[in-house]
Amino acid sequence: MSGEQTFFERNYFLLRRLHSLSGIVPIGMFLIMHLTTNSSVVWGAINSRELHDTAMDRGVATFQHEVSFINNLPLLLLIEIFGLWLPIAFHAIFGVYFAMSGSNNVARYAYQGNKRYALQRLTGYVGFVFILYHVATLRWGWSWLTPGGTQWSHYFASSTLAAALKGSGGEWSFAGVIVSLGYFVGVTSLVFHFANGLWTAAITWGLTVSEKSQQQWGRVCAALGAGVMLAGWSALFGFVFLVDHDRAVAVEEQMVVEKYGPEYLEKLREKYDLEPEMQASAIRDAADRPYPGPAPKLDD
Amino acid sequence: MSNTATNGQPSSAAPVPTRTVTFRIKRCDGPGQPTRWEDFKVPVVPSSNVISCLNWIAEHPVTASGQQTTPVVWDCSCLEEVCGACTMVINGKARQSCSCLIDQEAPREGDVITLEPMSKFPVVRDLWVDRQRLFKGLEKIKAWVPIDGTYNLGAGPKEEPDDQQMRYTLSTCMSCGCCLEACPQYHKEEQEADWENAFVGAAVLSQARLFNAHPNGKVLEGERLDALLGVGGVNDCGNAQNCVKVCPKEIPLTESIAAIGRAATVHAIGRFFRGK
Ligand code: SF4
Ligand code: SF4
Ligand code: FES
Repeated sequence: MSGEQTFFERNYFLLRRLHSLSGIVPIGMFLIMHLTTNSSVVWGAINSRELHDTAMDRGVATFQHEVSFINNLPLLLLIEIFGLWLPIAFHAIFGVYFAMSGSNNVARYAYQGNKRYALQRLTGYVGFVFILYHVATLRWGWSWLTPGGTQWSHYFASSTLAAALKGSGGEWSFAGVIVSLGYFVGVTSLVFHFANGLWTAAITWGLTVSEKSQQQWGRVCAALGAGVMLAGWSALFGFVFLVDHDRAVAVEEQMVVEKYGPEYLEKLREKYDLEPEMQASAIRDAADRPYPGPAPKLDD
Repeated sequence: MSNTATNGQPSSAAPVPTRTVTFRIKRCDGPGQPTRWEDFKVPVVPSSNVISCLNWIAEHPVTASGQQTTPVVWDCSCLEEVCGACTMVINGKARQSCSCLIDQEAPREGDVITLEPMSKFPVVRDLWVDRQRLFKGLEKIKAWVPIDGTYNLGAGPKEEPDDQQMRYTLSTCMSCGCCLEACPQYHKEEQEADWENAFVGAAVLSQARLFNAHPNGKVLEGERLDALLGVGGVNDCGNAQNCVKVCPKEIPLTESIAAIGRAATVHAIGRFFRGK
């Protein structure tokens, strides 16, 4: 054993276990909450106490309430930075580093476990790219990367999301097809990565030692994964195929009026009148309102 | 078979039917030398195994195209699948050549058997590899029961049959290296200097569990776990679980890995609160 150990070597065990833990808490827990919240656009349509004409209007209103609740959380930016962005960056950077120590020999050893091992690494890469795109476009406001240049707004959560997935005004565009498919692949990858990671974490930490217990826990993880997958897919399906953009805008405008008064809505409208194509996707300015984090640019 | 009848030979010593199997062997003249493939047509009799065929090739070092070559080199010892020395990659799968029967692996006339050295160890020559890193790994985790001392330790403690049974299974490991050959986290390291931080592999993790479970071997548990907390230790396993699938001794390697993971978790937390 020659020479000094590096910081990395000295803390290797801790870093490894933090990497494992961070995938479950907070990232995995957040994934569950995030996807169930999103699926509220569908379950809100099925089962909601909102007073609106159509089922999808009620879904849009339910989702809007969820989003508003989250955006009213105190210290949201701190929660985001320390609860999400840093853990995800940590998990991703070390994950890529650790994954590089592996190799792929599925062609020779085509066992189920080996396929999962390979998929875990692949979905990690895919998921990370997807998260970067997702957060950059919808949270950091890199609207030039969305179909139709849509800026997501937490005041117009459903309509702007539909527009950011499909294209301006919630009309399908070619880029929108790509982005929607990308969301499907990204969400599916991440849910698999989470469920499978939850399974292997129990081995890593030594919770499931016997083969039987590993199998049983495997079934629990598969069931949980299926549930989360269902939430994710239904949400995506809802925003892509069920939400009517213009009706959603009407519901959301009504909610803005109820919460902030008609003057504020007027202000938003004035701004949009200058930019008709922006009005079509209903957005932009909303993030001017008290919302932590870098405000989106309003020029050009 | 019917040979006797048609040949009309006396039936006292019935000739053994032979057939020909082609061996495609990856050759290498020494460390760092280029590799090449050579084919050999080998007459096989029932119950031949790969080693008996290699013996035949050693006597007849002529390739299928009639070229004189050097005898193929390989390693073996016990010839009954307990020493692990003869492990090589046969038709793509790592296994012991002494227990690989031609009747099963190449049942038809003209079948081909491919032989390669294991890819995760430095090649000494042809099919003979150097598994020294595996033994260094066993040293690293002190895979022994410390009983040498200045006084008589007396009789060993009483054993539960269940524990004994579990340990017996683990103790059948022959350090053959199949589990390492199949592991996507285990890579070839030619230089001994690089072994320290390279993954020890499933066999070593399982042996750590074996000796930690031994009533006397337990005294070294802390040292074994310390060695496995670092780079190249238990955390380097990626849970692909190929090892358990390929182990010829059917050792529950993934259970061993999880057991060491559990012990490591407890050990590391204990170390944190003890402050050392
Ligand atoms: S654990 Fe099995 S495969 Fe690995 S070295 Fe031991 S006997 Fe061979
Ligand atoms: S479970 Fe671990 S040791 Fe076994 S093959 Fe997979 S990565 Fe290698
Ligand atoms: S010679 Fe010992 S296992 Fe084959």
